[in-house]
Amino acid sequence: MKQLAAISVLLVVCAGYSHGADECVKCHQLLGDKPTQLFKKDIHASKGISCADCHGGNPKSDDMERAMSKAAGFIGIPKGDAISEACAKCHADEATMKSFGSALPVNQWKFLQTSVHGKLAVTGKEHIAQCTTCHGAHGIVSAKNPASPVHPLHVVKTCATCHSNAVYMRSYNPSLPVDQMEKYRTSIHGMRNAKGDAKVAECASCHGAHDIRSAKDLKSKVYATNLPATCGSCHSNAEYMKEYGIPTDQLEKFSSSVHGIALLQKHDLGAPACNSCHGNHAATPPGVESISKVCGTCHALNADLFSASPHKRAFDDLLLPECETCHGNHEIVAATNELLGTAPEATCGRCHSEEDNAKGFQAAALMRLLADSLESDEQRAQRLVDEAEQKGMEISEAKYKLRDARQARLEARTMVHAFDSEKFSEVIGKGLAVASTVHGEAHAAVDEYYFRRFGLGIATLILSVLVVSLYLTIRRIEKKQQKATVL
Amino acid sequence: MTKLYAWVDERVQLEDLVHFMGKKYVPVHRHSVWYYFGGITLFLFLIQVVTGILLLLYYKSGEELAFESIQFIMSKVQFGWLIRSIHSWAANLFILAAMVHMFSVFFERAYRKPRELTWLTGMLMLFLGLGFGFSGYLLPWNELAFFATKVGTDIAGVVPVIGKPIMIFLRGGEDVTGATLSRFFGFHVAVFPGIFTVLLGIHLLLVQRQGMSEPIGAESGAAATQTTMPFFPNFLLRDLLLWLIVLNILAILAVFFPWELGQKADPFAPAPAGILPEWYFLFMFQTLKMIPAHVWFIDGEVLGIVTFGIAGLLWMLVPFWDRKSARGEQNRTITYIGIFVVGYIIILTILGWLL
Repeated sequence: MKQLAAISVLLVVCAGYSHGADECVKCHQLLGDKPTQLFKKDIHASKGISCADCHGGNPKSDDMERAMSKAAGFIGIPKGDAISEACAKCHADEATMKSFGSALPVNQWKFLQTSVHGKLAVTGKEHIAQCTTCHGAHGIVSAKNPASPVHPLHVVKTCATCHSNAVYMRSYNPSLPVDQMEKYRTSIHGMRNAKGDAKVAECASCHGAHDIRSAKDLKSKVYATNLPATCGSCHSNAEYMKEYGIPTDQLEKFSSSVHGIALLQKHDLGAPACNSCHGNHAATPPGVESISKVCGTCHALNADLFSASPHKRAFDDLLLPECETCHGNHEIVAATNELLGTAPEATCGRCHSEEDNAKGFQAAALMRLLADSLESDEQRAQRLVDEAEQKGMEISEAKYKLRDARQARLEARTMVHAFDSEKFSEVIGKGLAVASTVHGEAHAAVDEYYFRRFGLGIATLILSVLVVSLYLTIRRIEKKQQKATVL
Repeated sequence: MTKLYAWVDERVQLEDLVHFMGKKYVPVHRHSVWYYFGGITLFLFLIQVVTGILLLLYYKSGEELAFESIQFIMSKVQFGWLIRSIHSWAANLFILAAMVHMFSVFFERAYRKPRELTWLTGMLMLFLGLGFGFSGYLLPWNELAFFATKVGTDIAGVVPVIGKPIMIFLRGGEDVTGATLSRFFGFHVAVFPGIFTVLLGIHLLLVQRQGMSEPIGAESGAAATQTTMPFFPNFLLRDLLLWLIVLNILAILAVFFPWELGQKADPFAPAPAGILPEWYFLFMFQTLKMIPAHVWFIDGEVLGIVTFGIAGLLWMLVPFWDRKSARGEQNRTITYIGIFVVGYIIILTILGWLL
């Protein structure tokens, strides 16, 4: 009954207005509905786009039945995927967008369809997100406008509407955490964002806006091998980062580091990307006190040995970051013997000078000497094994054994972190013993090779002498036989 | 020395043997050189027996032991490398010498009456030689041998009716496994040598009994005009001289081209590219590869195997169907068949290597 009354009022009111203006707005304003109020501020309204451009119908007619008739193309309130399809009618068409003087890209619809939001569905009736889910329906403003829900300062809250809703997310992806926003607020990015810095990274900066893909998707901006470039898009931009006063060479350094080469060139997904050390949503630089914990996540043995070593206390006293002091941070290169010892390029000499700290200086020199000895002995054995192999000798056992020397060398590189000469010598000693055994066996194989050649020479000589003597014997016998026949 | 000879003679009547050998003559003509290949084949067989027994002292059959034991022989056993390399090289030279010997007998028509049985035993020994090669090839249990055996036994399985049971018998099951290795080892060191020794005994006895065959037409000449040489010592010393040369060649091959061991067989690994059988099976392998999948309504592979079977049987029975040669007449057809077969084997073997 109430509905009938409302429609009657509407019909009477609408009939009072003259023809020519947008009849939809006139009537709906009188009804006082919220969308019409919001639409006044909508960017679309400012461009002269009418209600009928999205909802269909005849905006010129003041007769409600005619204006909202199917014959006039009225579709009512679009539901589900039809919402995005209605937006795409203009936003995916370059000519239409140009006619409104818009420089917006026209690929958002395509991107949305390939994104995790446009590909997956919760109910099966419609895909997860439509344009209106993030941008709103009426009252849409430019993303640069601080009033927009997708403005950098608001986008986190917009995303969190769903992503922090455990009940909703459970129905879509139960394994996905729902604490991203909380973590984000603890990060440097989040704290600055909360203070009104629109330049810092928010959700869309890393995940993309329309083309959001699962982090496991190779094309995702946050897939392990793509992540350094994603972070680098801001952090390597000196102009953009100017006001923050932090270096902008991290990506360059990381790319040439042992981690960067493993991840970016060898595509080893076990290698760390930026987020492995800095975190992702809760991104924050590890402090002096936590750096060894971060590195120790993967390099557990090294971290344990270091923590039990005398260096731990010394580093803490001097407020030195543990791993970083010797290995650097973004530019970490493969650890070689050069890092060790007292030479100018070695790190030990930076603290241990011969005058001020003779004990540490001597220990560093000794450890370097031992490490170099093992490396050179291993190489010497390897060369001889190769030579024996090239000579066709059966040397597979020695070759296999040589792996133990390599293992000892790697073990020694870990043992360095105990900073204990005795323990280090013990490991090196194991490797030296193996290298020496292998060298001996390879040497014997090479000697055997020459012995065989020599033996063959002797055997050939003896056989040749026998052949010649036999030949002469045959000739002698046959001559005697011929003589006997003649006689 | 004289006393020792008299002592032995008194007991085993050596005098009779010396008398027999003294009266034995070998015909001398422009094809006499081919007579030596029988001796070379025999010498290579003896080398196989000696080196085979020595290898047996260290070789261990079994999936988990075979490869490692050969590795041990090659690297740890004194002169093990030499014995194994000589055994492998001599095996190949043995097949080569036996084939040259067989073809020379074929072209000389030496199989004709009364030497049909000598030919038959010789042919059986050649087939056994191929069996020795096939079974011995698997014993190191390396990758190449494993897959070559798989392919070889697969081919045997294609033969209609009897193929599948033969394949299962050879493999000791459906697949090439440790069971195959065990029975190949049994064939190689017990079954084949036993049969071979009996056949070799008959073959040598017949050669001694019947003497060397002469080319057709030579027998018709007057006995006085024929050139001969005493078997003892002239022919035997020449044999010995050749044996020494062959021994030298073997030593050079073993030292300069030691037989490789390769990778241990892994039944779960994919077959490596370019699996080829031993060179003496290559012409048959290549033929089977070149025959279309279907010829008329017959399966190409079946046709190939059956044709080789029939051809082999006809070849073995040549003394019985070549009546002309048996009568002492020239038979040009035999020469043409022989040339065709030799040419076919050589060309298909080369193609097998190249393609």
